[in-house]
Amino acid sequence: MSAAAPGIQAIHFLAGAEVPRDLAADIIARASRRMAVPCHLEPDVWETRPVRLGGRDQIDADALLAGLDVLIRPGIVHVGLTGLDLGLALFTFVFGRARRGGQTAVVSLARLDPTHYGLAADPDLTARRSVAEIIHEIGHVAGLVHCDDFSCVMHFAPNVETIDLRGTAFCPACARALPPHLVLEQVNPRGD
Amino acid sequence: MNITASKVTSLSILVVDDEPIVVQSLGDWFRQDGHRVDTAQSAREALRLVAEKDYDLAFLDIKMPGIDGLDLQSRLASVKPDMTVIIMTAYASVDTAVRALKAGAYDYITKPFDPEELSLLVRRAGEHRSMRSENIRLKERLQEESAPSPIVGVSAAIKRVHDLIAAVAGTEATVLIKGESGTGKEMAARAIHVASPRRYGPLVIVNCGALAEGLLESELFGHEKGAFTGAMYRHSGKFEMANGGTVFLDEIGTVSAKVQVELLRVIEEKTVTRVGGRTPIPVDFRVIAATNEDLEAMVQHGEFREDLFWRLNVFSIEMPPLRTRPEDIAPLAEFFLDRFTRAMNRKPMRFSPRALEALQAYAWPGNVRELQNAIERAVVVGKPPLIEAGDFPIRVTETPSAGGALSLAEVERAHILTVLEAQNWNISGASRMLEIDRGTLYHKIEKYGLEKTRTAE
Repeated sequence: MSAAAPGIQAIHFLAGAEVPRDLAADIIARASRRMAVPCHLEPDVWETRPVRLGGRDQIDADALLAGLDVLIRPGIVHVGLTGLDLGLALFTFVFGRARRGGQTAVVSLARLDPTHYGLAADPDLTARRSVAEIIHEIGHVAGLVHCDDFSCVMHFAPNVETIDLRGTAFCPACARALPPHLVLEQVNPRGD
Repeated sequence: MNITASKVTSLSILVVDDEPIVVQSLGDWFRQDGHRVDTAQSAREALRLVAEKDYDLAFLDIKMPGIDGLDLQSRLASVKPDMTVIIMTAYASVDTAVRALKAGAYDYITKPFDPEELSLLVRRAGEHRSMRSENIRLKERLQEESAPSPIVGVSAAIKRVHDLIAAVAGTEATVLIKGESGTGKEMAARAIHVASPRRYGPLVIVNCGALAEGLLESELFGHEKGAFTGAMYRHSGKFEMANGGTVFLDEIGTVSAKVQVELLRVIEEKTVTRVGGRTPIPVDFRVIAATNEDLEAMVQHGEFREDLFWRLNVFSIEMPPLRTRPEDIAPLAEFFLDRFTRAMNRKPMRFSPRALEALQAYAWPGNVRELQNAIERAVVVGKPPLIEAGDFPIRVTETPSAGGALSLAEVERAHILTVLEAQNWNISGASRMLEIDRGTLYHKIEKYGLEKTRTAE
């Protein structure tokens, strides 16, 4: 297990103004059911100073992640939820970003929302995808890298279809590599 | 800190770009995918890294001060031709793509990267690399397996065989290889072929004893469509197939008088006329023939054409029977043991002293082929690390050394009977093991009056 992971005692979520409060609460309640450590939604809206990527209607994910550094406290992982579309200077978009082996992560709901693709709004689907992406980023925080097993939550998802397919469970190898007492039901419950 | 790693197909990747943000961002991205990454901000630094380490993939920025990505690609190709190179460019254009691919790049990708496109590209490049490596491995293995078996031995007799092969290989002389069944006549023919200037041409092997007369003629010389009933298509013969290479005519003593005439003509004129055809086809081939029969005696009895005999017997090599060179048994056994343990993925094995004694004591009427079969069986049934005498076929441990006490016919009779019993009188199995056709085997069974032993039921 990673050096930081044993110290994870709680996960604090921050939601930007673009994320409806009830949706944020629903996502965190769902994520909480998968985590063995307490999950908590900060009552205040996450005030960010978004850095726009030149020529693109996108926010720099790394800058957003750096903004969370000021909150770092021992034993607490901070996960920022944003409704803004995230990208990187070198990448056209990212669903989320985490400091591997660190204490911070951000997840964007923008491309997890079916309306981004011209489809009807589906808050339940958006919430399910968000939970999957949150668990994926927490896996990185715990030190995991991407996994070849397409049914593992740590499998790299370049599109939402992959997020929907891979589910939210860890494969046995990734589950073994996770710190104990972090995630409930670590291994894929379907056993595949 | 310790970073926990999950299972990934890890590649070794070099990222070269003069912009620090690019090398850092792409490096982090690939590390998150579980790959091993080095970065360089100049072509000079990249060349230094490549001189020290091997990389599976290299991502090169097309535009860099000094040596640009395409120049670097050319330099890398000369020092690390196996490395897969992907060119990164800020502006996609047909010209860029063409230049990158012409310079030998595997592909190119435009900045900023679409994660899906990048992921697919790395996956494809990884698969491409592993397929290429597998292809190389398979080619090497094929080359290894298709290489002729060395003629193993330390005896003076086998050294003489080596000398004769070396002497005749470089010439165009027709060779007649004589020797008992299982002495390695085909191996000698292969050795001559691969040491000859014709080695890049085909080696076409014809077992003359395995084919009926009409069929042999068609096999050797080919036939035209409609030449005989069932000749639905034009068929090239073995001599045509051997164009530029060598024809090995095994069991030449079994060839009928009619085919002997045709063979003589083909060998002398170096032209083939297909059965049912009229036009002679010029063919460039060398002939190596082999026999386990006494061709001189057959000539004297009028069973084999004298002119063909002399045409074939320009240079002759006699393969010595194994019983006349007992000093070769141990090295041969060791050679086959090594080969079969590797082929069967078995743990390394060696012979117990008693096993070696048993091998030395046996007369080996079936010669090297019988020894090879005995070792193959022992590798299958033996328990590593030792092969015991009991792991050999029962005849090896029970038959006393015949030495010169038995005539050749007696040895042949005993050997055929042993093989038939071992194969439970399955004629096809026994003929395969003896490397003779079923007809010849039936003939020998009748000749020696062999009968299946009846067992009480």
